[in-house]
Amino acid sequence: MRDELPVLHGVPPIPEGSQPHARCQDECFLGEKPEPLKYREAIQRIKNWFRANSLHVLAYGTGCGSIELRPLGTARFDMERFGISTRPTPRHANVLIISGYLSIKTLKRVIRSYEQMPSPKWVVGLGSCTINGGMYWDSYATMKQLDLYLPVDMYISGCMPRPEALIEGFAALMDKIKKGEANGYLDYLERLDWYRENQKKIIHDWDLPDYSW
Amino acid sequence: MDTLLHVIVSLISLMVALAYGLTTGGVVRKIMARIQGRIGPPVYQPFIDLGKVLFLRTGTHHGVMFILGPVFRLAGAAGFYLLIPVIVGVPFLEGFHFSGDLLLVMYFMFFGSLGMALGAADGGHPHSPIGVGRGLAQMTAYELPFGLAVVAIVASSGSFSVFEIVEHQRAAMLTKGVLGWNLFQLPFASIAAFLALLGMNMYPPFNIVGAPTEIPVGPATEYNTAFQSLQMSGRAIFAIAKVVLFMNLFLGGAHSILEAFIKTFFIYMWSIFVGAVFPRFRPEQSIRFFLGWPTAAGVLAVALILWR
Amino acid sequence: MKTHIETLKRHQFEVLWTHQQRANLIQIGIKAEQTLPVLTYLKTHTPFVQLTHYSAVDWIEDNEFQLTYTLTNPQTYEILMVCARIDREAATADSLHKLWPQAVTYEHEMGEMFGLKFPGSPRVGEPFNLEGWRDMPPMRRDFDTVKFVRDSIPERPGRQAINTRDYIGAEAGEKRLLHD
Repeated sequence: MRDELPVLHGVPPIPEGSQPHARCQDECFLGEKPEPLKYREAIQRIKNWFRANSLHVLAYGTGCGSIELRPLGTARFDMERFGISTRPTPRHANVLIISGYLSIKTLKRVIRSYEQMPSPKWVVGLGSCTINGGMYWDSYATMKQLDLYLPVDMYISGCMPRPEALIEGFAALMDKIKKGEANGYLDYLERLDWYRENQKKIIHDWDLPDYSW
Repeated sequence: MDTLLHVIVSLISLMVALAYGLTTGGVVRKIMARIQGRIGPPVYQPFIDLGKVLFLRTGTHHGVMFILGPVFRLAGAAGFYLLIPVIVGVPFLEGFHFSGDLLLVMYFMFFGSLGMALGAADGGHPHSPIGVGRGLAQMTAYELPFGLAVVAIVASSGSFSVFEIVEHQRAAMLTKGVLGWNLFQLPFASIAAFLALLGMNMYPPFNIVGAPTEIPVGPATEYNTAFQSLQMSGRAIFAIAKVVLFMNLFLGGAHSILEAFIKTFFIYMWSIFVGAVFPRFRPEQSIRFFLGWPTAAGVLAVALILWR
Repeated sequence: MKTHIETLKRHQFEVLWTHQQRANLIQIGIKAEQTLPVLTYLKTHTPFVQLTHYSAVDWIEDNEFQLTYTLTNPQTYEILMVCARIDREAATADSLHKLWPQAVTYEHEMGEMFGLKFPGSPRVGEPFNLEGWRDMPPMRRDFDTVKFVRDSIPERPGRQAINTRDYIGAEAGEKRLLHD
């Protein structure tokens, strides 16, 4: 029943060789990207400015790093002055922070949440666990390289990174978004098969739908 | 020609109300942040949020009623705002008023929430029906003191029209000055209605619908992208329409834009300053509160009118 | 506490060994067949009514699993650890879910992590911490964690491993650390 419902203008994986959808020709590029027009570029820049200044973080902690996220909302660090706020539901969120180690059981939930977020959306990998496994590098229950499973736009290294480092990471992410370089979500749609293959390699009881709308 | 001009001015007025509502939202966030010792977001942050939500790409929906929910909310808020006079004496800003519009206004006040309730139920998230149930229960509870206050006002001014209620206060002000306002003429009705306003505005301690840490955003859990933007703008206009109605009913309306801004701002801030220092009620506490002292004040107001 | 152990012995329960670890902590060893009767007796006739912890240890050298039931006396905070050894091949033990309902969660987890079987215990066998686990139970000592990780979880190349003890020792100018 749910699959039959029409999708407004979401981007399901498109078979190879087909023409891109008319309304997102410059954004959901497949293959050759058309030369962007001047005014479109300007509009894109305005959109990116809006997106960068209103980052809504999904309030979901996967590991020990989420304890470093909490002080960001308090008087000392106050991330709200940059327009960053937390949202409890993936439908309202743009930024997914993988805070520290990510166990394989959690990865399944993370994939689901990530796919439910409306794009453009960005993934921030926090701590060395997401980069190369960190101190959990020989654990049987955690993944060791996040960018195999989700498109990561920004890594913040450290074990654990301090809230200051997090704010710096957010600032870098905002710069990247303003320049239009944070396109991990497009990469995820383009190479969905590759990501799926990697995800299914470590999630053995795959029971998620083809794409969690 | 006049009708066309009226429509154009009303649309501009609606846009101004939207901008005012969003700015007030930003000011509220700033005030809350300052109370908590933070710097807080810029005042124009709600505009950025609204713009960003409009520029999101993927949209998922769950059926016709799901789409109509935010539309009902925005339509209810806009209809509510357009019916009541914003500035008395300026030709096209007196609203599309007619005799008996107060009843329609009261209906519109609850129409938006009802639409959202139906739409949110289609979303299928378990938090939505919980939030809807709490919201409707609270709505029923604060409608009682507010209805009693409205009965007292209508009985004292002898009209069901918001415009005529304002005129009645204006006439009283000629002899009594500021004391001619219904706020001082009908003190018990004012107590009942302003306590009910706390519940309408959904700030703490009455934010049980979108209670953070319990049912985080409540009915709006599944609403994304364009639906969310409709909801945000509907909420902004609705908040302004409510304070404009209260200004008309209790503070003698407004004759100039400046007067309207000052009066609405103070009515708006009433619930903010109460909200900034109170924790949240549980649903049953909130409902009991509205059926207690506010209702007693409302009954007393009606009794005084009858006795007089 | 010692009097309770004496009464245990008087009731024909076999106490294989006792070991006093702290003033308020005594370990006793019992036979696996007598687990349920001993624990039932302790719960109903002595003040040790609270099951605070319940875990398993893999004694691969003896080809046995040791199950440790930690009981607490809530009045005096004395702790009695009851140890029972079961055969490693059969790996079957009595379920405690009728004595203490919270034991189900421990049994659920031990069933997953050690492959222990608790006949009659509800929900044992359902996935709990490890979803979609296809290998040997990971807490068994013959499970080669490093090999499993190398084989099944992809790793970013170029990671250097440093022996922390040598590294810190060299930095501090020491050849050997004290407890080495």
